[in-house]
Amino acid sequence: MKRRLITYMALPVVWCLVSGYVTIGSLFLGLIFGMIVVEPFSKLYRLDEVVHPTGDWLAKIPKKIKYFYVLIKEIIKANIVVAKIVLSPTINIKPGIIAVPIRTKTNIGITGIANTITLTPGTLTVDISDDKSILYVHSIDATDPQGVRDSIRDDLEKYVLEAFE
Amino acid sequence: MAGELALVADILSIISLLIGIFFLSLGMIGLLRLPDVYNRLHATTKVGTLGAFGVLTSIIIQEGITPMGVKAFTVALFILLTNPISGHMIARAAYRMGVKCCEVTCMDEYAGKRRK
Repeated sequence: MKRRLITYMALPVVWCLVSGYVTIGSLFLGLIFGMIVVEPFSKLYRLDEVVHPTGDWLAKIPKKIKYFYVLIKEIIKANIVVAKIVLSPTINIKPGIIAVPIRTKTNIGITGIANTITLTPGTLTVDISDDKSILYVHSIDATDPQGVRDSIRDDLEKYVLEAFE
Repeated sequence: MAGELALVADILSIISLLIGIFFLSLGMIGLLRLPDVYNRLHATTKVGTLGAFGVLTSIIIQEGITPMGVKAFTVALFILLTNPISGHMIARAAYRMGVKCCEVTCMDEYAGKRRK
């Protein structure tokens, strides 16, 4: 399956969502615009590359829904944590940058875990090491670095691994 | 009956709008009060996401599946994808520019590890 086919399936949907009109005509318009915009850059987007989408993509949809549920729960928790810090009369924080080893290997898994870390309480991804095995995470409360590592591994990475790998 | 339903939708939409505005203003207060660039990013990335979600949910409830509502949904999706990435890029750029962490920072395992 070439990457071109996947791109031309995805772009009309994006066009429908952005234009706001979810109709057949809108899908066709999106396909035409997608071709006009993407085809001149086919080398840049590597459209002729053959990719092998894993067959269990559909089977993982329940896991993905669970991941989004966890993500939204964590976002709300993170907001309450930040709200408490911001509204306290004296700001009493002990921030620091912690190295967190990760188990995910694929690019999409790493993107997922890095974004999830940023959206969850008290942590913000700063960078990744050269060999893609360690994330550097800025934590707003770095008094217990091992606790932060454990909570990322047990509470977040598990769901990302299940949903994206 | 239809009138009551519209009233309930109005109330829900106003509540989510208020939640969104509350968290957005908290984000701005955090931006002013927290000490250094990394801590400020905590306030803007997380709180900005939920605040924008509140406002956009309000639009979706109010508009339903109309062009406006679908666009609001798309914007929410893009914010969920891009907000953490922009936070990460700003933090990394700041670190590479040599912006120091504030003095209460208790540890820095990233020091000396950054790529040239």
